[in-house]
Amino acid sequence: MSTINFAAREINCKIVYYGPGMSGKTTNLKQVFARVPGHLRGEMVSLATEDERTLFFDFLPLDLGSVQGFKTRFHLYTVPGQVFYNASRKLILRGVDGIVFVADSAPNRLRANAESMRNLRENLAEHGINVRDVPIVLQVNKRDLPDALPTSMIRAVIDPRGELQLFEAMSDKGVGVFETLKTVSRLVLERLSQTK
Amino acid sequence: MIEPSLALYGDAYARVDAHIQDLLDVTGVRYGLLVDRKGFVLSHKEALWAPRPPALDSVATLVASNAAATAALANMLGERTFSEQIHQGENGTLYVESVGDQALLTLIFDASVPLGKVKVYARKTVAQLAAILEELKDIPEMQLNGDFSAGATALLDDLLG
Repeated sequence: MSTINFAAREINCKIVYYGPGMSGKTTNLKQVFARVPGHLRGEMVSLATEDERTLFFDFLPLDLGSVQGFKTRFHLYTVPGQVFYNASRKLILRGVDGIVFVADSAPNRLRANAESMRNLRENLAEHGINVRDVPIVLQVNKRDLPDALPTSMIRAVIDPRGELQLFEAMSDKGVGVFETLKTVSRLVLERLSQTK
Repeated sequence: MIEPSLALYGDAYARVDAHIQDLLDVTGVRYGLLVDRKGFVLSHKEALWAPRPPALDSVATLVASNAAATAALANMLGERTFSEQIHQGENGTLYVESVGDQALLTLIFDASVPLGKVKVYARKTVAQLAAILEELKDIPEMQLNGDFSAGATALLDDLLG
């Protein structure tokens, strides 16, 4: 769960963007970085390959401000989407407080979406986390593709029980990015207040 | 609950700070941080003469990620863990040592500071910090109430629209 430093009066929450390769996870973070006022965000760290594919993770700290005297901060991470980087993905999930699953709307990525969600469940389980115990929001990205699949079809393979809040997005244009982040952040904050 | 929180309370926080400050004073280290395994800064001290520190959030995140990757490597090689990491550059050194299973002592210092001296004193500090973190395991978790959630959500609205 979130790291609470009562002496320094700080609360830190970790949100991870998960999903198949090239679905737009890094683009989400870049949009947040570009649109949040400079004094409320830290440096964006990207550990990427030469062709800008995420190698380990991207990281962006975001300051919410002070709540009841606690400086509240979100740490946003992405994972590398490529299948062979699973060791890195597993490491980054350590201590996660909330997850944004970024799905790709392209027809030829439907299977990759399903496999990535299955991989998320497996990796959470290896950390001893039940997928239902962590707030997850589903972002269906690249809605402007001419052959974009219906969201109902994408949800059917990722979230067949319809349990996750879903947001349609075009992350390269900033559409749906803040709505998604706001919802997962709110869920994390609610969970924080409910912790027993 | 996903993972136990690591919460530093008043007296423990002050003692952690004091131990890190002592280490800085005796060794000449520039920055000293206690970072939890998730990459959050728990405590930070810097020498009086030190220039403005780098982005500590980023340093902590990268140190914790590096430690996690190193631990995974250790397991693959049949080791329980590699307890320390040393990165030496032309002008400075980054030294990281595990504080139990929960945290990482991170020290940044100039090339003029002998690594051996830092390692000797860091070991002593690590033992002191580990004892404090062990004590904290028995303290009941403090609760945040619904007002906290409401206040934070209002700030979210301001920030994200």
